[in-house]
Amino acid sequence: MKRTLLFILGTGAALAIGWNSMNNAAIDEYSLQELTGDVSRGAYMARASGCIACHTDVENGGAPLAGGPPLKTPFGTFYAPNLTTDSSHGIGNWTVDDFAKALRAGKNPKGDSYYPAFPYTFYTKLTDQDIADLWVAFKTVPAVDKPAPDHELGFPFNIRSGLPVWQNLFFDQGRFVPESGQSEKYNRGAYLVESATHCAACHSERNVFGALDVDNPFTGSKSLLEGEGRVPAITPQALLDKGWTENDLAYALKSGLKHDGDAFGSSMGEVVRGGTSFMRKQDLNAIAYYLMNRK
Amino acid sequence: MSKKTIVGFIIASALGVVSTVVIAHGGATGIVKERMDAMSDMKDSMKSVSNMFKGNEPYDANKVRVAAEVIKGHSGEQLTKLFPEGSLKHPSEAKLIVWSEWDRFDKLAKHLGVLSEGLSKAADNIEPPASTNEMMGGSSMMGNGGMMGESSMMGESSMMGGGHMMLTADEYGEMPVEMVFKMVTDNCSSCHTRFRKEKE
Repeated sequence: MKRTLLFILGTGAALAIGWNSMNNAAIDEYSLQELTGDVSRGAYMARASGCIACHTDVENGGAPLAGGPPLKTPFGTFYAPNLTTDSSHGIGNWTVDDFAKALRAGKNPKGDSYYPAFPYTFYTKLTDQDIADLWVAFKTVPAVDKPAPDHELGFPFNIRSGLPVWQNLFFDQGRFVPESGQSEKYNRGAYLVESATHCAACHSERNVFGALDVDNPFTGSKSLLEGEGRVPAITPQALLDKGWTENDLAYALKSGLKHDGDAFGSSMGEVVRGGTSFMRKQDLNAIAYYLMNRK
Repeated sequence: MSKKTIVGFIIASALGVVSTVVIAHGGATGIVKERMDAMSDMKDSMKSVSNMFKGNEPYDANKVRVAAEVIKGHSGEQLTKLFPEGSLKHPSEAKLIVWSEWDRFDKLAKHLGVLSEGLSKAADNIEPPASTNEMMGGSSMMGNGGMMGESSMMGESSMMGGGHMMLTADEYGEMPVEMVFKMVTDNCSSCHTRFRKEKE
């Protein structure tokens, strides 16, 4: 099995160069330069989207967005990069369109693909305005003149040229489309869950290539993070079976306290402390409503 | 009823009691069971307070004080003494890192005592919940324009992982009760995040 997997990945890597140009051509041609961003809204979205939680090494006193703590996975160790305004080690030289390309196409300004540890498969659904808001907020971050460590990945996952193949196979760019016939609350929750808060990134199974099982989202998974156990299912039925209500869920995302009085552990503790606890009650209610009533 | 039936009934009942005790917490025994029971007590107390903040029950300051006392009683050394080195017997959820980072673990356990005492002192500090609460996240995050780089948002007292300053119980006692309760929760969550293995 291992040999087969390595063969498949090796073949994929070999094909990568040829596919690379094709994939680049698929990137949307658009510009957000005409949009006016709002710093406060962007800061809010940076919290909601987990940018700050993932790209800040809070535990070791790291500066905001200067690079995250190590994420140890079976593929190797990922380090979320420096996203401060430093022009050498951060994104100080980027334009809003470079920023949009990273979020929506999973590519850096040079066109190189990112590993899907960066959840661009979700961020691709962010609205133009949310991206413009995020961008102006990111531009207020003090520069940190220090690079984040490089990822430390084992073979064959360290072959970056294989990433365009991965994107061709498992990633579709797209925008969020509200579900007709559903309430504004449902669609707001759907938008947040399916793009910004990217809940399915941890709460769904992934295949051997690290791609999400998009046909069975939210059914729980074995955590890819070292030392963590199982990530629970959060389908409407699973939540009901465990005794959750919408009110409990919204409160848990705000407070970090589950419906039975237990405090979140594992990475969900960090998600709440660094992200959802900063969100507005009405957004948390919308998320809870969507998760409990998802069609 | 024959003597044999009565004896059988007594034995069966005794076994029933024993098995109930053992089954609680997935068969934990000894020190592992003791600490799981302590955690359960705290969990129940947290739930009783959260039920009021969720609006499920009317607010009762006495209930907060009772819950805070329970938590304080299980904090600090009362908590850490239940974690002798290497006590990882199934179904313990503790990670090995508890002992390699004992100082951090100990600090969180002690701070839980300070926070729970502060919670008790703050029990009468009710503020109008709705609007203030709704904005709590927003205002602390982006109230003063600078936002992304503000230390208030990011990482003060980062060693605790909870982003709160370390104050005294009296100082916590001056704050709105819901805010102190959130700090207690963050302290629990920081400890669980680092030191607890999630169940399968």
